[in-house]
Amino acid sequence: MNPRRFLATIIAVAIGFALQVAPASAQKKPSLNIYCWSEYIPQSVIDGFAKQNKVKVNVENYASNEEMLAKLQAGGAKYDLIQPSEYVIEEMVKNGGLEELNLANIPNLKNLDPKYTKQAHDPENKFSVPWMAGTVGIVVNTQKVKDPITGYGDVFVDKYKKRIVVLNDARETVSWALNSLGLPINDINAESLGKAKDVLAKWLPLVKVYDSDSPKTAFLNGSVDLGVVWSGEASILYKKNKKFAYVLPKEGAHLFIDNLAIPKGSKNKELAEKFIDYVLDAKVAYAVWKEFPYITVNAEARKLMNKDELAIASSNPPEDAKLEIFRMIPNDAAQQIDKLVTDLKNK
Amino acid sequence: MAAALPAKPDLKGPQRRPGWRAWLMLAPMVLWLLAFVVVPTAILAVYSFCEPGEGEMVKYSFTIEHYQRIFDPHEGYLKIFGRSLGYAGLTTILCVLIGYPVAYYIGRASEARRNRLLVLIMVPFWTSFLIRTYAWMSILADEGMLNGLLMYARIISEPWSLLYTPFAVIIGLVYSYLPFMILPIYGSVEKLDNSLLEAAFDLGAGPVRAFQRVVIPLTRPGIIAGALLVFVPSIAMFAITELMGGGQVPMLGNVIQNQFLAARNPPFGSALGITLLLLFVAALWIGGRRQPAGNVMG
Repeated sequence: MNPRRFLATIIAVAIGFALQVAPASAQKKPSLNIYCWSEYIPQSVIDGFAKQNKVKVNVENYASNEEMLAKLQAGGAKYDLIQPSEYVIEEMVKNGGLEELNLANIPNLKNLDPKYTKQAHDPENKFSVPWMAGTVGIVVNTQKVKDPITGYGDVFVDKYKKRIVVLNDARETVSWALNSLGLPINDINAESLGKAKDVLAKWLPLVKVYDSDSPKTAFLNGSVDLGVVWSGEASILYKKNKKFAYVLPKEGAHLFIDNLAIPKGSKNKELAEKFIDYVLDAKVAYAVWKEFPYITVNAEARKLMNKDELAIASSNPPEDAKLEIFRMIPNDAAQQIDKLVTDLKNK
Repeated sequence: MAAALPAKPDLKGPQRRPGWRAWLMLAPMVLWLLAFVVVPTAILAVYSFCEPGEGEMVKYSFTIEHYQRIFDPHEGYLKIFGRSLGYAGLTTILCVLIGYPVAYYIGRASEARRNRLLVLIMVPFWTSFLIRTYAWMSILADEGMLNGLLMYARIISEPWSLLYTPFAVIIGLVYSYLPFMILPIYGSVEKLDNSLLEAAFDLGAGPVRAFQRVVIPLTRPGIIAGALLVFVPSIAMFAITELMGGGQVPMLGNVIQNQFLAARNPPFGSALGITLLLLFVAALWIGGRRQPAGNVMG
């Protein structure tokens, strides 16, 4: 390369850089980095917020609380908003992983249904605001199953051997057994686990499919008639075909509450609070529920639902349902639960 | 993958050492291997001797309890290893039985036809692996295409439960890995010297004997390379066992994943991972040992 051309190239590159960098630094938009569950925040809501506030919103997804925790623990990632379930909030508060919210920036808090606020994991909602709730219950294909199904005891019977799908989640499975025994689901000890094991030793051989990601698939391809699954999956099944009924087990069921929270180190805390306030607006919360029909925690959004929508059992738990949230359990309890279910499946 | 390497120039003594230019050219590869293979494996190895921590990945210490737990027959992890090896072994055998005739036919076909057939073998790779697995699920389901067809033709009256059985898992595994068996065998068959076969016939060998004594030994490198390419990844495969087997029995891949996520026991997961890695090394060593030197991957 001759010297003149070399110089020309350098100048061209330098001009290119200047052109690229200058406008970006002159009018750099503030940006909000959200790290949330996949299939949980509608794109329309993200776009709506970005447009209203003239900001850029970056979204990354995770598929489990543990995946999110692992990424935050590894460090390096800078997020402004995360979406942990209640037991994870408890753990993160304990480890100092969350920023305290400035509730004055979130006036729409008043829209929330008091049933879902100020829960045991965050009694003052100092660190988290509920996003959506859901339950784990029984889906019945009423065309195939004619007997009344009211609880776990009606599902796990020989008659339905290999016609059952359950979540592939050891803690869930063990909590069902504990519920059926009338034992507490958050106080795990050797004795209660031993009793749960006897119950599960009878239940698990009847199961045909273990699937946490998309248990609806087994229903839709006709491979199972009964299942214990997420209420969101039940809503989707019900929308596709009214024959899929949802029953909250009379023995008691798991209620989960997913929340919005700001991780330590966020650079845009106020913007994140603005986003929380935005999604607590009744219309926005209703739009979220329409797309992802779990249980809305927003009392004002519920008022916007029509009669048909209020009739969807999986989105509207009855007032007297026996529901309980998961609390954080110690590591070795988690290990024992995993071992128990692995051993039973390994038979 | 099965193409013949150009013959190495016959270098001796100090000449065999790569000069700095060679190292420079190798540098990206070496850095890549270092950053994404050596370092992560080393981290895994360290973790496997630690204790599970609260709030952080591991608590640094030195314990061999995780390895003891794996090899303790009462714990059931050996059974999980055995099951995963069994599925992988059966998949490999079926892939050889199905893949060999196909590869042989392609290798002996005319050039135009050969190329067309090879494209057909590779076409499935244009679609995502998960989509192909879901397609199989909709074929095998109780209300799926196969049962629909058989019931329409009145061959069966009740749907056959195929999906969510070990049978479905084997179909899924063989389907996914068959091309990895066919391609290396094809590579060996294509190189087969016809005159050797003719010589066998001239010397009085029948077709069976010629195949046994001439064709198989000459294509053995392809068979071994194919077997390794199928066996090694299918030990740790978990998507197919979850999706097509319904996750009814624990497989190695799922058990390892659970240790990191649900059971919050990364050290035990690391120990399982390292044990699996040693198994791979053993498989490669056994496979590589039986071949003429210098041509390990066919």
